[in-house]
Amino acid sequence: MSYTSRNIDLEPAITDLRNRTLARLPGDFSRLVYLASSRDLNTGRYSHDGLTFHFSETVASKAMALCHREIFERLVYASLEALIEELRNYISSTNERPAEFLKSWKHLGSYRVTIPSECDELEAEVFLSNVKMALAILQTCQKPVSQDGQSA
Amino acid sequence: MSQLLPYFGLGLLLLTALVLWARQSLTTRKGSVELSMPSERPSGVGSATPPRDLGERIFDPHDWDFVRHETTSEIQRMFQRERTVLTISWLRRTRRQVSFVMHTHAAGVRRSKNLQPAMELKLLFSYLSLVMLCDILIGLIWLRGPVRTRRIIEQTFHWTARLRAAFEQLIAIVDPGSHKALETGFNQGTAQS
Repeated sequence: MSYTSRNIDLEPAITDLRNRTLARLPGDFSRLVYLASSRDLNTGRYSHDGLTFHFSETVASKAMALCHREIFERLVYASLEALIEELRNYISSTNERPAEFLKSWKHLGSYRVTIPSECDELEAEVFLSNVKMALAILQTCQKPVSQDGQSA
Repeated sequence: MSQLLPYFGLGLLLLTALVLWARQSLTTRKGSVELSMPSERPSGVGSATPPRDLGERIFDPHDWDFVRHETTSEIQRMFQRERTVLTISWLRRTRRQVSFVMHTHAAGVRRSKNLQPAMELKLLFSYLSLVMLCDILIGLIWLRGPVRTRRIIEQTFHWTARLRAAFEQLIAIVDPGSHKALETGFNQGTAQS
């Protein structure tokens, strides 16, 4: 990971965010959803009470934006198989039923809001396409299970 | 549909000759830089992960191998549709970015007093080859899909990447100002036509 071009002031905040918050989440997809949900959709600013307390609101927001982009890029360049595994981990970390989760994500397109504000247009396209594929594949894996569940 | 294939083949052959010619004349130039793939560029500002070429990601054969072996035919068809859209988007963007830089360069050249005709000619051929290659690939993918034309795509993708690198290097030599715009455009994907 390259630190060379980053603002030095952000480094402690980024390290703090990674070690204290992001490391506790199970996988990159969970981290992506967490960071996206910490962002105000109206302003694009991120909020994190702990980080704001130790640093400042601006530094905390910028550190979160950088980590968001970093994790997003990792997922864009991850293979489809790895992305499916990430998504599977995320689903199992929630308390929702996988079938319902997949149906909801597919129909509502909830994953669209996980894209960082400043990202390459084509990278976003690749990510959305891959998540769409991953959801469809996971849903086909779910089908026999849910049929069994219905018949039981 | 298959009647068009010989024309594509002929076009590709012509392009190969052009690429080889442009590449040879660039590498034999004294003090020229070695040809490198665009993915090997240094990382951009704020980039946390090493920049990789999005084209390589889209054409990654592992995804198709996984989909072919692990999923149903319905999913395989969906994958082909999705990849067709992404591949065409990538090719269109490459074409648009190169055209943007070429137009910027052409505007600068009109005012330049130190015109290098031989270099300009090479740049023009390199540009035209790249644009033609993108158009041929778009046509081929649109007609047959990225998976059916996988072998051709794999080969021509490397040509496109090399040609783009050659174009970048030529621009860097002839017009460093436009080269900066090209780098920004390729790294951020924001160059507009």
